[in-house]
Amino acid sequence: MSIIVENLCFSYKKGTPFEKKVLHDISLTVEDGEFLALIGPTQSGKTTLAQHFNALLIPHCGRVMVNEADTQDPNTDLVALRLQVGYVFQNPDYQLFAPTVGEDIAFGPLNQKLPRTVINDRVSEAMKIVNLVPEIFLNRDIYALSGGQKRRVAIAGVLACQPQIMILDDITAGLDPRGRDEILAVIRRLHREQNITIILISNSMDEAAEMADRIIVMNQGQITLEGKARAIFSHLDLLRSIGLELPESMNLVQQLQERGLAISSVPLNLDETIDLIAGSFRKGQGTT
Amino acid sequence: MELTKNITLGVYLPGQSLIHRLDPRTKIISVTAIVILLLLIKSYYAYAAMLILLAFVIFIAVIPVGYAFRGLKPMLPVLVLMWVFQLFLYSGPSPKLLFTWWFFSATEAGFHMGNLITLRVFFLFTFTTLLTLTTSIVSLTDGLESLLNPLKRIGVPSQELVMTMIIALRFVLILAEELDKIVKAQMARGVAFDRGSFIHKTKKMFPVFLPLFISAFKRAEELIVAMEARSYTGGKNRTKMKTLHLGRVDLVAGLVMIVFSTLVMVLIISVKPQI
Repeated sequence: MSIIVENLCFSYKKGTPFEKKVLHDISLTVEDGEFLALIGPTQSGKTTLAQHFNALLIPHCGRVMVNEADTQDPNTDLVALRLQVGYVFQNPDYQLFAPTVGEDIAFGPLNQKLPRTVINDRVSEAMKIVNLVPEIFLNRDIYALSGGQKRRVAIAGVLACQPQIMILDDITAGLDPRGRDEILAVIRRLHREQNITIILISNSMDEAAEMADRIIVMNQGQITLEGKARAIFSHLDLLRSIGLELPESMNLVQQLQERGLAISSVPLNLDETIDLIAGSFRKGQGTT
Repeated sequence: MELTKNITLGVYLPGQSLIHRLDPRTKIISVTAIVILLLLIKSYYAYAAMLILLAFVIFIAVIPVGYAFRGLKPMLPVLVLMWVFQLFLYSGPSPKLLFTWWFFSATEAGFHMGNLITLRVFFLFTFTTLLTLTTSIVSLTDGLESLLNPLKRIGVPSQELVMTMIIALRFVLILAEELDKIVKAQMARGVAFDRGSFIHKTKKMFPVFLPLFISAFKRAEELIVAMEARSYTGGKNRTKMKTLHLGRVDLVAGLVMIVFSTLVMVLIISVKPQI
């Protein structure tokens, strides 16, 4: 399942004195099975763009094709489309509303009018994927959960709809490092084991570099850069000028390079960074 | 999906027009006078006078005409329903039958009653919207407070009262924005808000309002903490950074309002009521 966006533009409050153009002439393609990161400073239009992917917003010009179905076409079944393109929202409090974890996760399948047994299977399956033991959490009160647990319930709620594409909107914001790592591990597993196409919205460069196959950088409603992580991070000055920072690992390597350490490659995660630096030291010792 | 687009009540549209520059007290008193007149009007002629005033104000305040009436859009079903109810249920002292449908009968008196009441709501809503569109929250607060000040003597906590009202007004838009997010989150999980019967649609609103209430309580609590952190104490001994002054514009506006009100009163008394 792929998403094709052609010359999309969108304004909030269109037709009022407060009209604000948020997206200008955006074209992009999301391939089936890829892991795409959408990054950019706040107010760059990431969320607005992503909400076009599952027809929560309809473009004012241009078009969005999800699996060959035009979201503007009145014959397109938008309800079915939204279940195929899952969306996990930035703030789980807006998404979770049922009294217990189990009921909330069952909300999507219930809307599909599936039989009870199928729903129960889907709920427990989704809970296992996000590392919530059904026996413990199924009847837990939603408002008694921690931030990280809420996020995982929100992901499970979308997973229970069995989407083929998942949009994750800044889901690590406000989590402690451990909660963040747990969530990212869940997402990695979803992509590898369930073959779900992932669109990760984030303003953390570290996350994007570690996780994604391809990165799209947005600024002021336009696509600034697009490509593989290593290629993106070579545009250091451009990224800094729009208020984004390099990932920690690259920052370290870059500063070491400036101080004369010979490192040729660009690392994307901690392990690669360690290998590169250690390797360069070993080489250095060999020559002296 | 954009719910906030059609909300105009409580929104301030910054500008430099004469109406914007009026003292908030002038505007509040004028709107109050208009509201009282509207409650007395029972003929189309007087409403025609109201329409002229409305057009005049919108023109002077340089507010896009479409935007001035935009807030009515979500109210349209209610207005239509109200009109239909009046048409069929009001018959007046000497009913003159227009037509019958099933076992309901529409009378001429009902028809006029429906028209008048719908017009009344229309003008009430539009004039109050114009007040908030042309008056910033701060000056609206100042104006109301200064008007309610005399009531302090008889023990009415006017400052706190105004504060509460203003916060409520501010929250209209905030809650609409939250509602927008919640509705989207539910649509993303397969809720079709635009489908199904009336009962079906109503049932779908429950999962929407629960998170809305919870977030409203949360926001209220955060607001309290923020106010207390800045040592807010209501009522006594508060002074204003800006003091209100009545200018020449206010004098002119006051005169216009007095002439207009007299004219409408004459119309109300002299013209035979429609019902």
